[in-house]
Amino acid sequence: MVQQRTNPLRKYIRNRKLPHFFCPGCGCGQILNYFLKAVDDLQLDFKKIITIGGVGCTARIPIYLNTDSLHGVHGRTLAWATGIKLYRPDLKVVIFAGDGDLVSIGGNHFLHASRRNLDVTVILVNNFNFAMTGGQVAPTTPFNSVTMTTPYGSKENTIDVCKLAVSAGATYVSRWSTAKPIQTVKSIKKALQHKGFSLVEILSQCPTNFGRYALRTGDPEKVLEWIKNRSISKTKAEKLNEHELKDKFILGEFIDKKRPVFQGTTLFKEEDN
Amino acid sequence: MKPLSVRIGGFGGQGIILTAIILGTAAVKKGNLYAVQTQSYGSEARGGECQAELIISDKPINSPTTEYKDIFVALFQSALDKYLITLKKKGTLIVDPKLVTKIPSIEANIYQVPATETAIKLGNRIAANMVVLGFLQKFIKMISKEDLREVITSMVPKKFIDINLKAFDAGVHFAEDLEITMEDIG
Amino acid sequence: MNKNIKHEGRRIKSGIHFILGNYAVVEGALAAGCNYFAGYPITPANEISELMSKRLPEVGGIFVQGEDELFSIYSVISASLAGAKSMTATASAGFNYMQEGIGYASAVEVPCVIIDVQRCRGENFATQADVMQMRWGASGDYESIVLAPSSAQELFDFTILAFNLAEEFRNPVIVMSETTIALMRERVEIPEKESIEIYKRMYTSLTPEEYLPFKAKNNSPPEFAPMGKGYHTLYTLNYRNEDGTMDWDAQGYKKLYQRITGKISENKDKICITESYFLNDADAVIIAYGSEVRPALDAIEMARNDGLKIGMLKLITVWPIHENLIKEIAKNIRRIFVVEMNIGKYAKEIERLCLPFCPVTNITKNMGIIHTKEEIYAAIKEAW
Repeated sequence: MVQQRTNPLRKYIRNRKLPHFFCPGCGCGQILNYFLKAVDDLQLDFKKIITIGGVGCTARIPIYLNTDSLHGVHGRTLAWATGIKLYRPDLKVVIFAGDGDLVSIGGNHFLHASRRNLDVTVILVNNFNFAMTGGQVAPTTPFNSVTMTTPYGSKENTIDVCKLAVSAGATYVSRWSTAKPIQTVKSIKKALQHKGFSLVEILSQCPTNFGRYALRTGDPEKVLEWIKNRSISKTKAEKLNEHELKDKFILGEFIDKKRPVFQGTTLFKEEDN
Repeated sequence: MKPLSVRIGGFGGQGIILTAIILGTAAVKKGNLYAVQTQSYGSEARGGECQAELIISDKPINSPTTEYKDIFVALFQSALDKYLITLKKKGTLIVDPKLVTKIPSIEANIYQVPATETAIKLGNRIAANMVVLGFLQKFIKMISKEDLREVITSMVPKKFIDINLKAFDAGVHFAEDLEITMEDIG
Repeated sequence: MNKNIKHEGRRIKSGIHFILGNYAVVEGALAAGCNYFAGYPITPANEISELMSKRLPEVGGIFVQGEDELFSIYSVISASLAGAKSMTATASAGFNYMQEGIGYASAVEVPCVIIDVQRCRGENFATQADVMQMRWGASGDYESIVLAPSSAQELFDFTILAFNLAEEFRNPVIVMSETTIALMRERVEIPEKESIEIYKRMYTSLTPEEYLPFKAKNNSPPEFAPMGKGYHTLYTLNYRNEDGTMDWDAQGYKKLYQRITGKISENKDKICITESYFLNDADAVIIAYGSEVRPALDAIEMARNDGLKIGMLKLITVWPIHENLIKEIAKNIRRIFVVEMNIGKYAKEIERLCLPFCPVTNITKNMGIIHTKEEIYAAIKEAW
């Protein structure tokens, strides 16, 4: 007899929401899984988690989660996160943001939330383009890439979001990719347990848009291969010079330290742990 | 009672707005009257043009400014030149002769109060506005000297209370022998 | 939120004060129970943030100076969803940025209070030029509730009213302040705590299994569920059905926005507040709002002394507009005057309502300063 088994993470998903809207081969489904695996491993009280998405493919991850969630405004995720976290420090706030959402339109909020060490976790899904709108150039799109708005190749340099976060004052920052599930889950767990501003950047394949236009392949595996080929561990990267590191994605943890968290101006402070 | 309107003009840093606030506070909090105080000043943090307007009445005040003032206190020549036109005919003009030297011939009751000179003698020229306030109270019957002294004490920094009260009393003294009727005010 | 508030007694400063209009806003907000404020520096609204930064922490609240107005409005919105009574304050240029958040708050039905101290473009002179933006500033379908105080006392009173309306209708409420009254010191009477009415937000009594976050009676807001208690509410700008899931449904969309706009437009008679002066025997009526009410009342006194029977309708609620009342007034008089400090914007709205019944004359002044009574009276005489 065939035994019906339910995915043990299914309990975290909203009723009647599946199937999801992500394209076949998109990394967002994997990342949803990694996050739930981390939550489940840590046995976090799911009721106390607030998930936030702005606008974009990644921003839709929260709409599948059985949490109180905010969604639907582009770039303002960290402003939302601040209001909730300051008023209800007992809640855990997790932001799912694409590269466009977080560092293009939301760039200013990102700098200041990092600077303040706001006690929230940001899961940045970097798929190198504006995917939901059809594959336009983003601040993370590699130099010379062809996208829907750079038909002659992008002539803009990219942002290294992790470097930006570290220099702005974030206290836990790491970069992994969908090709590194174990490290990614481990890193999300660390981020969720970290007191302070934590950022996990996950490089992710977008076969539909970035793959087809920039890499000339709609095959998810090939897009993932492209990410893997360009990825290099932090330890290895330390031995290479600037020229050798050109076009490489450095994976690993960039900072993990303690600093007082942001509470706004209030005379009744929570005890710092 | 007819509403009374006052304009004080000079430059930033003379305590012009504070003087108007003290008067307004005394009127509202001590006299249970109505008062409206507005101001304008240049964008300079210090030293720009500055003027404050105050209306006091025993009834709620509608228009927050009046075209013509009953009393105009000019603490700088340029303020006099600019705002004299807004003084009511036969109104009251109070000037500090050290800072206002050219007064055109007009139909007004003009009083010269040596505010800066007195304040310097008392030890701090910054208290000149309190000399003016002490003099001005004579013209505003519905606020008592005692009320003003109390408001000054509650509003100025502790270490300046003494000099401010002395300056105020000096102003009161200058006005002591004046016989003021409502007609004099305008 | 801190449960351990030791200084709740400092919240309401009952008594008679002589304070800035901007300070009256702060005292009103505190009296209404505000416990979260975010703002960004802009003249002439700075005194609100400055006093808030001192007063709010004293009573257990939280103050934040954000990186921009978008931060202010969105953190105010999310704090409200988390249970706070929240507010922001800005001036015209900053109010532009906030439109985005006002659109979200309207669509998701978030109570919050926004103070806009209107100023001339780039300059801190007086104006009422944002009056249409208050109503139509954001994209999408929504209704605004906008209150127009004319004095420091009303800035205090209407800020409390704004919080109450926001909570009752689950809608952002805008207090339309102006340079004139914001930077004016005036007598403000703060009543005793017991005589200040406060509307308490409606929370559901249903279990998370029974609760549908956007199910509500016609023309009414839904009940809130507390955050972090397992109700898993999705507050999305996108269309969502009653259970909060985000699946497009044309009929559902129509119904949702009928309810969101209807809860205000169909409750106008409850929301709209006006004051009338000398309407009984009036041949003509001035309609005014905000600071312009004040010289207009003086002008009416001048006119009446000269035998011109003129009355006044003072609009406390500028939006929604009290259509029925204004039409009724227009039917029985010879002329309506609209006094305002801009190029004559609200007058168009009055024309829309009154033109079939009586002519409408604009009395506008767009020079960065409030009308004098003489100016208004001269304009009345000219058209009489």
